[in-house]
Amino acid sequence: MHGSAEDPLIARVAAELRRRPPAPPDFEARVMAAVRRLPPSLPARAWTWLREPRTLAVSPLGGLAAAAGLAALVIVGAWAATRSPAAGGAARVAAAPAAARDTHTLVTFVFMAPGARTVTVAGDFDGWDRVQMPMRRDASGLWTLDVPLPPGRYQYAFVVDGRRFVADPAAPRAVGDDFGQPTSVVTVAAGATRAGRGSL
Amino acid sequence: MNARILALAAALAAFARPPEATAQTERLAGRLDERTRAAVEAIVDSVRGAGVPGDPLVNKALEGASKGADGARIVAAVRALATNLARARAALGAGATEPELVAGAAALRAGASAVFLERLRADFPREPLVVPLAVMADLVARGVQPDTAAQSVLTLVKAGVREADLVAFRQSVERDIALGAPAGAAATARAASAGGLATTGVPSIAGQTPHPRKP
Repeated sequence: MHGSAEDPLIARVAAELRRRPPAPPDFEARVMAAVRRLPPSLPARAWTWLREPRTLAVSPLGGLAAAAGLAALVIVGAWAATRSPAAGGAARVAAAPAAARDTHTLVTFVFMAPGARTVTVAGDFDGWDRVQMPMRRDASGLWTLDVPLPPGRYQYAFVVDGRRFVADPAAPRAVGDDFGQPTSVVTVAAGATRAGRGSL
Repeated sequence: MNARILALAAALAAFARPPEATAQTERLAGRLDERTRAAVEAIVDSVRGAGVPGDPLVNKALEGASKGADGARIVAAVRALATNLARARAALGAGATEPELVAGAAALRAGASAVFLERLRADFPREPLVVPLAVMADLVARGVQPDTAAQSVLTLVKAGVREADLVAFRQSVERDIALGAPAGAAATARAASAGGLATTGVPSIAGQTPHPRKP
């Protein structure tokens, strides 16, 4: 048998089933108490923790360290800000095209020293290291070395047998020698190639 | 307690030091005695705020160490270079590159005036000035008076000669001097010749057609 919603009997049964039984008088109070006993959500707990006042105990050394650390962060931040493109606009704008042109140029150092056992080049480009840049000798006693350098002005000297500094006779001398030893200068222009030639 | 505070302060000072400064002065390790190294580091730190780069100062100290100079002489040379780099920075402006400052410091040491540097920068605010400044210093090293050298370089730069032609000009002056010409006369004559050729658009002293610079 199939009933219909329009059937009066079915309608009465449905209405009876939908009717809520009367709740006890303390039902609502008990439900609310149970809800209050549930643990709060994480955001709610965090908000409560943030709003509650705290008492911090800090030793003098700890306070000093915290203050110094904060000061250090401020200093580092200020320093970084001065190097940022926004703060140092002029410097950055000027540096960018220079960097774009900053292609290395092969500079050939040439030095005639048939009697030398070793010859190296020491200068601003290698930290004035006496051994880092050894030159190659050919049968005639001509020493040569190719060094890629970016545009700039560099001071240098030849180091003969590991101890004697000799200026490049084919290159300009540095104005005023600070340490009583001869020093030469090479200027690298963008896109230039230079062959220094000296003799000993 | 005091020792802990001092250690903390030292650690914070090291933390606050720019990394590039630490890298620069680390190059001094093992090359200088501790006292000289500390003095050089102090100079590098003291002028950093004025926009003076540290690498040229460290290079100067390394040059002294390599040549066996004593600590006092090294520190004096580094201090003198720092002074000239700071003067170059003031004259060439905040946008000057490190190579420009190095060349500017050399020109100042050679006897160029700060006004010469300022004038170069004012006339050519976006052009690299390394070669003009270096050529000026090199001419003085060959015996040309600073004023004459500065005027010669200004004449050529304003005429629009290229960097390679400036170097060729210097080499020509050197050859003339080696052949017995008075240094000043050689520089003036070569500058007039090269400047005139450059402005007329015919091949310059280096045999290349010059490209006039924009003002």
